Amino acid sequence: MNVLEVKQLTKKFGDFIAVDNITMSVKEGEIFGFLGANGAGKSTAINMIASLLRVTKGEIEVLGKNIAKHGKFAKMNIGIVPQEMAIYEDMTTYENVYFFAGLYGLRGAELKERVIEALAFVGLGDKHKSYPKNFSGGMKRRLNIACAIAHRPKLLIMDEPTVGIDPQSRNYILGSVKKLNEMGCTIIYTSHYMEEVEEICTRIAIIDHGKIIAEGTKGQLKAIITNQKNIGIEVRSAENLDRSKLAGIAGVNQVKVEDRIIKITSDSEINNLNRIIQQLMADDIEIRSVEEHEPSLETVFLTLTGRSLRD
Amino acid sequence: MKDTLWLIRKTFLSTFKKPMNLLLYFVFPVLGILLATLIHSGSGDTELRMGIVNQDGGRQITQGVIDAVGRMDSMLVSEIEENEVKDLIASGELDAAIILPAGFAQSLIDGNPSDLKIISIKGAQVTGQLKAYLEQHINNLASVGRVAQGNEVKFKTLYENYQKNGFELATEKIDDQSINHNKTNQTIGYLLILMLVSASSLSGILIKERENRTYYRLLSSPVNARTYVLSNVIVNLTMMMLQIAVTLWIMITIFHVDPGIPYWSMFFILVLFALVAISLSLAIVAFSSSSSAASGMQNLLLIPTSLLAGCMFPLALMPAAMQQIAHFLPQYWLLDTFSHLQQGVSMGELSLNLIILIVFAVALSLIAIYKFGRNNDTRSYI
Ligand SMILES: Nc1ncnc2c1ncn2[C@@H]1O[C@H](COP(=O)(O)OP(=O)(O)OP(=O)(O)O)[C@@H](O)[C@H]1O
Ligand SMILES: [Mg+2]
Repeated sequence: MNVLEVKQLTKKFGDFIAVDNITMSVKEGEIFGFLGANGAGKSTAINMIASLLRVTKGEIEVLGKNIAKHGKFAKMNIGIVPQEMAIYEDMTTYENVYFFAGLYGLRGAELKERVIEALAFVGLGDKHKSYPKNFSGGMKRRLNIACAIAHRPKLLIMDEPTVGIDPQSRNYILGSVKKLNEMGCTIIYTSHYMEEVEEICTRIAIIDHGKIIAEGTKGQLKAIITNQKNIGIEVRSAENLDRSKLAGIAGVNQVKVEDRIIKITSDSEINNLNRIIQQLMADDIEIRSVEEHEPSLETVFLTLTGRSLRD
Repeated sequence: MKDTLWLIRKTFLSTFKKPMNLLLYFVFPVLGILLATLIHSGSGDTELRMGIVNQDGGRQITQGVIDAVGRMDSMLVSEIEENEVKDLIASGELDAAIILPAGFAQSLIDGNPSDLKIISIKGAQVTGQLKAYLEQHINNLASVGRVAQGNEVKFKTLYENYQKNGFELATEKIDDQSINHNKTNQTIGYLLILMLVSASSLSGILIKERENRTYYRLLSSPVNARTYVLSNVIVNLTMMMLQIAVTLWIMITIFHVDPGIPYWSMFFILVLFALVAISLSLAIVAFSSSSSAASGMQNLLLIPTSLLAGCMFPLALMPAAMQQIAHFLPQYWLLDTFSHLQQGVSMGELSLNLIILIVFAVALSLIAIYKFGRNNDTRSYI
């Protein structure tokens, strides 16, 4: 069954179209990645799915029920980790999770159990009595997640849960996401970080200017741009390199030099590796190794949107 | 319902957790009572040194009037000569002097009392009270005189009876009442300001939650916005009812101020005002984009209107034009209701006042609801 079904979803702020006619579905058990640059419309789309913003046009179904008619049902089954921290600074971590989980009707021993479980899950099990105002960014983010999972939602929506935190907390969070997913929770994951999305997501939608411009598994997305190949040539010294001559070779689109590695993006149909190597030899450059990569998601994104993920 | 209770529980807990709130709800009103008591007992506590010039010789009735003045609270009486009056008052040895003119006793017996003079440099506060008291006393004597129809013997018998009955006691009581009423009204004035501030502070939670984004999380849960605002209002109202009940109880029981209005009538009317305060605070919240904008609006609205409405000092001290403005302020209608009740006007006759308070509450809530509805789709609301 589809956990989420979005049909022709549109959101306008005045004349500005933030989300433009999006159609997508998320199946049970998926970690669905939402990839897009700043202002692409990710949060807007997510907020509509979580009933936090009114829909301008379109339909949203959660677990097969239209949220316009079954708002409460949808909310009961969704957990949202908002992009910005949404916790009470003047309440302890325990009180925070306790309060939010209570909003879903949990009470008594069951509530306490769930709170303890959620806090342990994000690695704050020993911080029940601490106040978040003394927390690091990473700890706050983890509390922000605990508040969203204590009621055991079927669909967890995470809006950039790893923004601006230390690598350790980030790894912890990514680990938790995978673990939650293994426990049966379907996840929508929004991020600026390509590596994260590549690492954990089973399916990815690329959103730009409010539109989904590509959707599929990593492999499917990369297949979109099979006409590109990346060639990496390690050399002893790139000092004598004549970049314009290299760029002049048929098929070569881009030449970048990073330290002692020459990175070339080229049309995959044209076999020009020989000519490239000849050119390097002519420039008296000593070649150490040559590698040909398939394109990364980063390249996919760049090619499709014409801009990089982060500014 | 379960949601509402859960939200109410949380709001109560965090309200009682902050010491500032307890000050605002329970300590400041008591300080208000204390302040009102100090302001309005100033004249009673310090002794008033009174000189009496008796130009009417040793008449028994005249002496009776002098004694009556002497029996007033905190009054120190000495007999002086007329030519000393100015010097003694100017040098501060006396606070005031009364001149009983020649033929004063006879004028009382005739039932047509001649004027007496009160000289003082202190304000009307001192002489006003004295004048009221003397007027009472002299009018009583004059009516005794009218009954005696100028017959001196008859007058004396009646007069002795009158003295035995201790009429003074009654007059003093009336004086005490005015002090009590002043204390009450002053206390209520302060209480109104504190209620407005308390209501704003509790409604301010709505804005703070919007700012720290917890509101966003609340709305993503099965709780809806209406339940959320309703629970805030319920806590607000309950806290203010507690505030009113405690303040009135302390004023009456601990400070022994008799307000001249039954406890439950006062409570009921003040609860109406609490509704006004809550709706006003909600309207402020609805129109503010941030906590600082809200507190700016509160500063601009609450204290100045309370001043204009007579919460801090009597309206009579203000220019007539200003007094007109007061009619547009809910605080004025509450204070007006109280002073009428103290003067013995019945609740039924004051229903217009109460209706005006209700209209204020309803109008302000409608404004808030309308504005909340409009806000629904903007980024700041999330
Ligand atoms: N309440 C609003 N009123 C007007 N414009 C808005 C509102 N909310 C979002 N927008 C605009 O809609 C566009 C999409 O915003 P959104 O927050 O969805 O982007 P995003 O993909 O989440 O970006 P980011 O990665 O920065 O979080 C932006 O241009 C933003 O300025
Ligand atoms: Mg966003």
